[in-house]
Amino acid sequence: MKLNIEGLLVYFPYDYIYPEQYSYMLELKRTLDAKGHGVLEMPSGTGKTISLLSLIVAYQRAYPLEVTKLIYCSRTVPEIEKVVEELRKLMEYYSKEAGEKNNFLALALSSRKNLCVHPEVSSLRFGKEVDGKCHSLTASYIRAQRHSNPSLPSCRFYEEFDALGRQVPLPAGVYNLDDLKDFGRRKGWCPYYLARYSIVHANIIVYSYHYLLDPKIADLVSKELAKKSVVVFDEAHNIDNVCIDSMSVNITRRTLDRSQANVETLQSTILKIKETDAAKLKEEYRRLVEGLKEANVARETDIYMSNPVLPDEVLQEAVPGSIRTAEHFVGFMKRFLEYLKARLRIHHVVQESAPQFLKDISEKVCIDRKPLRFCAERLRSLLRTLEIADIADFSAITLISNFATLVSTYSKGFTIIIEPFEDRTPTIANPVLHFSCMDPSIAIKPVFERFQSVIITSGTLSPLDIYPRILDFHPVTTASFTMTLARTCLCPLVCNLRNPQHGAFWEGGEGPVIRNYGNLLLEMSAIVPDGIVAFFTSYIYMENIVASWYEQGILENVQRNKLIFIETPDAAETSMALEKYQEACENGRGAILLSVARGKVSEGIDFVHHFGRAVIMFGVPYVYTQSRILKARLEYLRDQFQIRENDFLTFDAMRHAAQCVGRAIRGKTDYGLMIFADKRYARADKRGKLPRWIQEHLTDGSLNLTIDETVQLSKHFLRQMAQPFKQEDQLGLSLLTLEQLQSEEMLQKIAQIAHQV
Amino acid sequence: MAALSEEVLLVVKRVRQRKQDGTLYLMAERIAWGPEGKDRFTVSHLYADIRQKISPDGKAKIQLQLVLHTGESTNFHFSNESTALRDRDAAKDLLQQLLPKFKKRANKELEEKNRMLQEDPVLFQLYKDLVVSQVISAEEFWANRLSLNNVDHSASNNKQEVGISAAFLADIRPQTDGCNGLRYNLTSDIIESIFRTYPAVKQKYAENVPHNLTEKEFWTRFFQSHYFHRDRISTGLQDIFSECAKQDEKGLRSMVVQGVKNPLVDLLSLEDKTLDEGYGSNSMAPSTSSANKTVKENSNSAIIKRFNHHSAMVLAAGAGKKACLTMKCAGPNWGCASETSSTDGNSRDSDFFQPPVKKVKIQEAIEYEDLHMENGKKTVALNLKKSDRYSHGPVPLLPQQYTTSQDIINSVNCIQQEIANYKPCLTQVMSSSTASSAIAALSPGGLLMQAGSQQAINQMVPSDVQGELKHLYTAAGELLRHFWSCFPVNTPFLEEKVVKMKSNLERFQMTKLRPFQEKIQRQYLSTNLTGHLEDMFQMAYNKFHAWQTRQMLRKT
Repeated sequence: MKLNIEGLLVYFPYDYIYPEQYSYMLELKRTLDAKGHGVLEMPSGTGKTISLLSLIVAYQRAYPLEVTKLIYCSRTVPEIEKVVEELRKLMEYYSKEAGEKNNFLALALSSRKNLCVHPEVSSLRFGKEVDGKCHSLTASYIRAQRHSNPSLPSCRFYEEFDALGRQVPLPAGVYNLDDLKDFGRRKGWCPYYLARYSIVHANIIVYSYHYLLDPKIADLVSKELAKKSVVVFDEAHNIDNVCIDSMSVNITRRTLDRSQANVETLQSTILKIKETDAAKLKEEYRRLVEGLKEANVARETDIYMSNPVLPDEVLQEAVPGSIRTAEHFVGFMKRFLEYLKARLRIHHVVQESAPQFLKDISEKVCIDRKPLRFCAERLRSLLRTLEIADIADFSAITLISNFATLVSTYSKGFTIIIEPFEDRTPTIANPVLHFSCMDPSIAIKPVFERFQSVIITSGTLSPLDIYPRILDFHPVTTASFTMTLARTCLCPLVCNLRNPQHGAFWEGGEGPVIRNYGNLLLEMSAIVPDGIVAFFTSYIYMENIVASWYEQGILENVQRNKLIFIETPDAAETSMALEKYQEACENGRGAILLSVARGKVSEGIDFVHHFGRAVIMFGVPYVYTQSRILKARLEYLRDQFQIRENDFLTFDAMRHAAQCVGRAIRGKTDYGLMIFADKRYARADKRGKLPRWIQEHLTDGSLNLTIDETVQLSKHFLRQMAQPFKQEDQLGLSLLTLEQLQSEEMLQKIAQIAHQV
Repeated sequence: MAALSEEVLLVVKRVRQRKQDGTLYLMAERIAWGPEGKDRFTVSHLYADIRQKISPDGKAKIQLQLVLHTGESTNFHFSNESTALRDRDAAKDLLQQLLPKFKKRANKELEEKNRMLQEDPVLFQLYKDLVVSQVISAEEFWANRLSLNNVDHSASNNKQEVGISAAFLADIRPQTDGCNGLRYNLTSDIIESIFRTYPAVKQKYAENVPHNLTEKEFWTRFFQSHYFHRDRISTGLQDIFSECAKQDEKGLRSMVVQGVKNPLVDLLSLEDKTLDEGYGSNSMAPSTSSANKTVKENSNSAIIKRFNHHSAMVLAAGAGKKACLTMKCAGPNWGCASETSSTDGNSRDSDFFQPPVKKVKIQEAIEYEDLHMENGKKTVALNLKKSDRYSHGPVPLLPQQYTTSQDIINSVNCIQQEIANYKPCLTQVMSSSTASSAIAALSPGGLLMQAGSQQAINQMVPSDVQGELKHLYTAAGELLRHFWSCFPVNTPFLEEKVVKMKSNLERFQMTKLRPFQEKIQRQYLSTNLTGHLEDMFQMAYNKFHAWQTRQMLRKT
């Protein structure tokens, strides 16, 4: 279908369109027109991705000079692949309708683990191993060494790519990860480096958040991306945590020990090199005097995206003299390590700010702020000079140097917490230094500053105003879209079970609550067909409940109705349980999956159609509030952004709850129950923080229900939903043809779908 | 026939059939009756052939009537005055038990026959021609068809296995016996469930019962074991089930190692890039090392593991034998499993067959069915037994002889040379008039082409006669097939059959072919449509006579 979105011709690769998709595109177009950022919430299963892609591709075609590139960031590898497949569909539609092949280059980029075709390297199991092995074959100095000693192992894919791959750009087309691998195998080129090279001139890139948000990776991969790009963060409801994680550092005694070993290796290598090739070190010294001018020039001329770990001041100056020679630097690092070790030898918890830490370090071991700031850069240079093959071995010292740079660069937004032991096990000494980022805007700031439009979108972003605040940006559009429905295919119910006290669990005072939970599950297992997913607030809590249920014989009774599968901390085990769960839903036996909010299942797995006919959320998934890091963050939010502690905690709990229950509805033909088994959900402050598309269906009649009432309502709902549902039922209401879309009346209705904030 | 050892379930003396006294035997597979004083049965019916039994109550004579599928019926009169009623009831009850067992089979066979006839009009016609007109009997007709078919449809004929209730362990309700003991009630179903779900227990059972333990002791120990009580941590080695638990653990682990086929649920490959060690705010999550875990926590996680394992095993047991096999492959020696099933998740060889599943799953995930126009009718899937035959066509079995390009070039050169050197030998050519008459004679309708004018039959013979001829051909073909399949005649049975078939052929010729011949002769004089059929029959007769004379010679 060809749409006219405020004068822009948009090709939409389907025969029908949902009204909210049209509305979404409208808002998106306005955002792009204004060259600003946007926050858009649209329910999952309403074709968000295809709307985004259709509009932005159309925009790129219409105004090739305004928007040169689309950078689409998603969270998981399957998500990335899905996006590329949708894009392929769109491109096929283009070539079918327009007749001509358009010369768009679109590709997915992922880590080496997912792209490597080298037979040995790719057989390694963990991403880190693959990276390390790849590095040991392809690092520049290794390849230089090979000139003198051809017997060294090499990666023929990389060599081939290096020799030929850069001459001709990747032919236009849509490349998913497997396509890249196929192409790489055919040509004998390394797909990973090919993809990394090609993203510079590709029209559309699809990759994961980390490539933009994690400064360590972004600096390698994304810094040369054009300014006139549109960046989309899909499934962005957790984006603040991604930002924070990418900037936070934890240092344990083990890290320090390994760093110590690293430093010793460095020292001996330096000695060796000094005897054989002193010129090399001299050359490095000269380079360091020159400073990081090149990078600075590039950044100023707007070629590079800035890197929060590489602050501007560092670029303008030369590396300070005290750490310029290799030996001096190693000595410096040793001193720093000793200081950290001393700090970890404490018996009580210490919390301090970055300036306090710097003051202390300068008093105790006379380390200034300035050389600390250059630590990360200096170490990188040294590792390069010393031609160290396996960078993975040096992860500990790299971590320490990154910490040094960060702690000396940011006086605000970070906190240092040193804990001598874990709270749960006060007798076992396990000192940890948390250098914790509290301000997600630090990591994402370069993205907002560099790129013309940044779109943050997800199925659950409510309350919408909080994201611009915590990420510190000013969107031009903030909108939430409802799901137009021909039949109410979601049924949120709030069951009035008492909330359990977390601590009281151990004293056994939770019996009745747990029994009630169990009864609810048992009742639901008898009436809901196929799959039920139940979420608990934490893993330990789930373990205990499962044990009590087992003792009380509840699980036995549930087993009469359905098979039971349970998420475990082990990802592989859970994957297997998930697959079996789906198998059991598929063959008609029906199954229950017990899972954890904030867990991997709740974040990454969809339960479409019969895989999830009901979701039960036991309790409100508050984050573990006793953690000092969280407390520090809450304090920071209160001081900096005027967000009250409770508001943030509730917001955080509700976004996870919404994520969990939203797993079951993945489209308008889908249907599912959403049972909130905790009476606190009925309160206005919780209810109001659910996404609008769920809130709308949460009537007063569905609040504060007893278990029996819940079962009755569910039965009724399921019976209704089991009736045949055809396309004609939707047409004109939640599904539009082109003619229907163009009618005046419909356009007015559509205007109401978008709810501006 | 009675010589074959059969299990005789019931013998009733003094049963009359057709006014003759005799004895009724109920055996494992058939019911038979033999007249008094003779050692062979004059009446014998397989249970499978019996459609129903009627035992009219109100009558003075105490009778049992059996109605067969073929419509025939047999009456037995119980004539022993004193015990007649009891005898009859005993026989009746036994029949009542036995018949349903065979009925299913019989019905299925009947259904199958019916289905085949309905699906295949040619076969139906054949059936009409041969069976209904009593050329051959129905049994003969089906004799080699059903067996053929059974092979083809073995998959569909397999009866679906009943799955296992997930809660079968819960169904074993312990009851207190009043003096500090527990009683568990086990049924054979439950035992079967336990064995199917936990092969390790079955193995233990086979190892220990009855040489080491009695069955009762075995189950007592089973219920006492930590194995049954999932929350108990293994206590000692004296428990014979501790090994089972270990095996389960191993099975579970190997299932986990095997990985999942659906990439969308593979949590391991979900994350694109994990944060390096030491980064991130939550990386210091509560340590899960078992060292500082309490006993309670350990037992809790054991319960969770057990539940997952139990559900997986129940699912696998329900999925039938095939899945069981793969489960076995997944057992301790899965490493050397067959090449297709060893999709060991970590080996990147799996790439080569991963994409299809992945592609399909992703396509499913991005599909919005309601946004598409509903396009037309659904097509019926073509069920191909040999798909390669379908896509490549029949391939000759012999390796083809290939000519190399050099050969071809050489031969082309040869021909070229021949042509270049060709000199017409003008003295030896035919005169033009002879040549043209020869061409005329060889043209369709010409002198020499009359006999073989194949296409003429279309126009000459009306379609109904053509149809009849076709039926005759198929019927004759079927009979001849039966006939020829008797050779070489090396068993008495075949001997009997070949004689019968020969008479069948003759009967067919008399009853079907002759009237047809006469009919054409009446209408169309010249063409001999049935010549070939006659030839075929003649061939068969010749063969039969040859065989017969040889047989005679051998006898004399």
